[in-house]
Amino acid sequence: MSDDIVNIEVDGEPVKARRGQMVIEVTDTISAYVPRFCYHEKLSIAANCRMCLVDIEGAPKPIPACAQPVNEGMKIFTKSPRAIAAQKATMEFLLINHPLDCPICDQGGECELQDLAMGYGRDISRYNDGKRVVKDKDIGPLVSTDMTRCIHCTRCVRFGEEIQGNPQLGTVGRGEDVKISTYVEQNIDHELSANIIDLCPVGALNNKPYRYSARAWEMTQHATVSPHDCAGSNLYAHVLRGTIKRIVPRDNESINEAWISDRDRFSYEAIYSSDRLITPRIKDGDVWRDIEWGNALAHAADVLSFADSKKIGLISSSASTVEESYLLSKLAQHLDTANIDHRVNRRDTSDQDSDPVFESLGTDIAAIERQDAILVVGSNIRSEAPILAHRIRKAAVNGAKVSFANAKEYEYLFDVADYVSGLGLVELLSGIAVAANVKSDAVSVLCAGVKANDAQFRIANSLKDADDAMVLLGCVAGNHAAYSTVRALAAAIADETGATIGFVTNGPNASGASLAGVLPHREVGGAKREKPGMTVAAMLSNELEALVLVNVEPDADIHATTDVVAKIAEHKFVVALTPFVSEALLESADLLLPIGTFAETSGTYINAAGTWQSFSGVASPVGESRPCWKVLRVLGNLMDAEKFNYVTSEEVLDEFKSVAGNADAGGYSMGGQLAKPNGEDSLADEIDTPLYSIDGLVRRANALQKTLSAKNVVSGE
Amino acid sequence: MNRIVSYIKTFALWELLKGLSVTQRQFFKKGVTLEYPDEKTPQSNRFRGLHALRRYPNGEERCIACKLCEAVCPALAITIESDVSDDGTRRTARYDIDLFKCIYCGFCEESCPVDAIVETRIHEYHMEKPGENIMTKDKLLAIGDKYDAMISADKATDAKYR
Repeated sequence: MSDDIVNIEVDGEPVKARRGQMVIEVTDTISAYVPRFCYHEKLSIAANCRMCLVDIEGAPKPIPACAQPVNEGMKIFTKSPRAIAAQKATMEFLLINHPLDCPICDQGGECELQDLAMGYGRDISRYNDGKRVVKDKDIGPLVSTDMTRCIHCTRCVRFGEEIQGNPQLGTVGRGEDVKISTYVEQNIDHELSANIIDLCPVGALNNKPYRYSARAWEMTQHATVSPHDCAGSNLYAHVLRGTIKRIVPRDNESINEAWISDRDRFSYEAIYSSDRLITPRIKDGDVWRDIEWGNALAHAADVLSFADSKKIGLISSSASTVEESYLLSKLAQHLDTANIDHRVNRRDTSDQDSDPVFESLGTDIAAIERQDAILVVGSNIRSEAPILAHRIRKAAVNGAKVSFANAKEYEYLFDVADYVSGLGLVELLSGIAVAANVKSDAVSVLCAGVKANDAQFRIANSLKDADDAMVLLGCVAGNHAAYSTVRALAAAIADETGATIGFVTNGPNASGASLAGVLPHREVGGAKREKPGMTVAAMLSNELEALVLVNVEPDADIHATTDVVAKIAEHKFVVALTPFVSEALLESADLLLPIGTFAETSGTYINAAGTWQSFSGVASPVGESRPCWKVLRVLGNLMDAEKFNYVTSEEVLDEFKSVAGNADAGGYSMGGQLAKPNGEDSLADEIDTPLYSIDGLVRRANALQKTLSAKNVVSGE
Repeated sequence: MNRIVSYIKTFALWELLKGLSVTQRQFFKKGVTLEYPDEKTPQSNRFRGLHALRRYPNGEERCIACKLCEAVCPALAITIESDVSDDGTRRTARYDIDLFKCIYCGFCEESCPVDAIVETRIHEYHMEKPGENIMTKDKLLAIGDKYDAMISADKATDAKYR
């Protein structure tokens, strides 16, 4: 081990460093700042900006700190006259062609070039000839380009090659004529592509929806959490006078590293869409009219209080926060009903007694990239959780064997070990189970008479041979009509091969909703209910006296059964707590209460790894909308529910923590023997989650809807 | 002795005469009081009065919504909202100056990279109704248009010192 540590000296200070570390990595850890443009710790080393030139004793010329590994006894001077002179010279060359349009550049005020030009630039340029002008490119609705500003650090190019896996940007030409280009005219449409906005050290690549709308220095930065997928990416919302102007990533090595998906970045547009419900509305015969909050709540409380407790249903979704879910669960308790569910997409709940307390990945998110073999079952992972897909890609790049068992073929931008597809999930998995020589009784009927093909053998062996292996069940599997069977097979395979089984869940807070008891068969904290209530499908099929919808849109969000809108419309009284109003809601609901989106409420999400992440409300509520937990609280008060006098959402969270804070995810316990599905395992019957229609927010985000990814789905259907 | 001199002075109306001598001296001097508003004091070309937004000679607004004036304003009197204009350029959607907050320091003018916001020599203005203290973009541009000749001349005079 001692061989790995070298002693070096930085600006006269003795420093210990790992052998093979680059000089700039060492100087960064001891706050000896070296200026840089092309170096980025998440990307490969290019050493083409030359801004990080430092003086190293014995070297004939200044050396780029980002590309120089440390050696024993190396003496580095980051601020010697020679280093500073070299850095200033580099800056002078960079500024030759950089336009002086900082006042209209969106990067102005947060620009790396601007900052470093303050320290290393000359006051007056000595260059009097013509400047280079480069034509802007149209690379889609998310990223704006001002290519004249480009300093050719190639961070965006390396991002495409190394993080996305499909290089869409590259350099053309050489010397003064070098240009960043898409080669042929095309949009950049990877689900993480907009991260090049943050990577670009100048204003060449910028946020298109945000264009010219605010300045970096006038906005306040608030931490929040992504409401779109089970990874729970950490975000910063930049807010100007109560309005979110843009979203940027908040670094968190254990979850999203430095990246966020385009969905997380641009979905805030929906908060200000014209579809927002801004006042409570009630259906008067066939006419909708606005009413006062007080009357609306009193009416809802009245109907719920007088309804038969067996004929009340509460449907929430995994987009609700922990606090909202917990209050809804308490409300159900007060109403003495177990008809409460958040699994709006789960079609097969027959084996729900075997469910874990909440579905989790079984490991940390960061641990995914350290796996040696991964089998992804029934998942369009790039659209379900782009951040998890990135971790899986990293695992594959590191040499892990990543295989897929999916009915449909999805595109993956890395070397996939094996991809079995074309059949129903049960058939595909039973082949792998046979190949893995699964002996479990529960799945013996399913495996009987099944023959495994070569690919299935290879997958089984890759899981067996690996030190760390993982079987991931995705949302397509979760929504599968024979989910119980699929899960049993996957669990049996994982069990036999020694792999961990993990679940990729819908929405940001499926774990939290389950833990809060928004389930017909589980109480708060995960204890089994004595008398299970109705599932989503059952609630919709039976005629109820009162149905409460929280954060769900009947047409787009509920897939547990068919003809959802018509079925909901059948119910006697339907109250919907929703941030958005849609045709389907107007058709099926009787009372609409406007609630805040993730940005306008404080709350907590529990991600798929079981991490609790609280956030505060960052933007002013639109119209008369109120945070959902407050609406539920007042409803509780009006119905004289006990212990409902919360002042802040933290009080709700504290109470919930005291009840369920220590609950473990628990494991899936295999139930009895499962029969072969009868027609439920068909390929055409699968429900996919298209990248940009996954929830109400992304469906209403203009920029996202203009992308090719969104358009292809529409035209494909 | 002093008492006697004082006694004589009192009876000779000495203090009165002394005072009247000042009056007499001032009576023949040139007066400094101006008959405002018929007469006015001379003004510097750098006088910082009412604000104006300027245009380029071709009629294009100068302001590019960089918001430097908003950032530098010590009284937080300026409020700007920016957006992409119809021709794709960066423009203000709103440019308000609250004259009650403004302390006429001229920092906005100093910070402007395109000489769009200026403080003119106009200092004779009043408000009659609440809300008139807010100078909107239209009002500011109108002032700029009306007094363009004066503003340009003032800028030209000052140019050699900048």
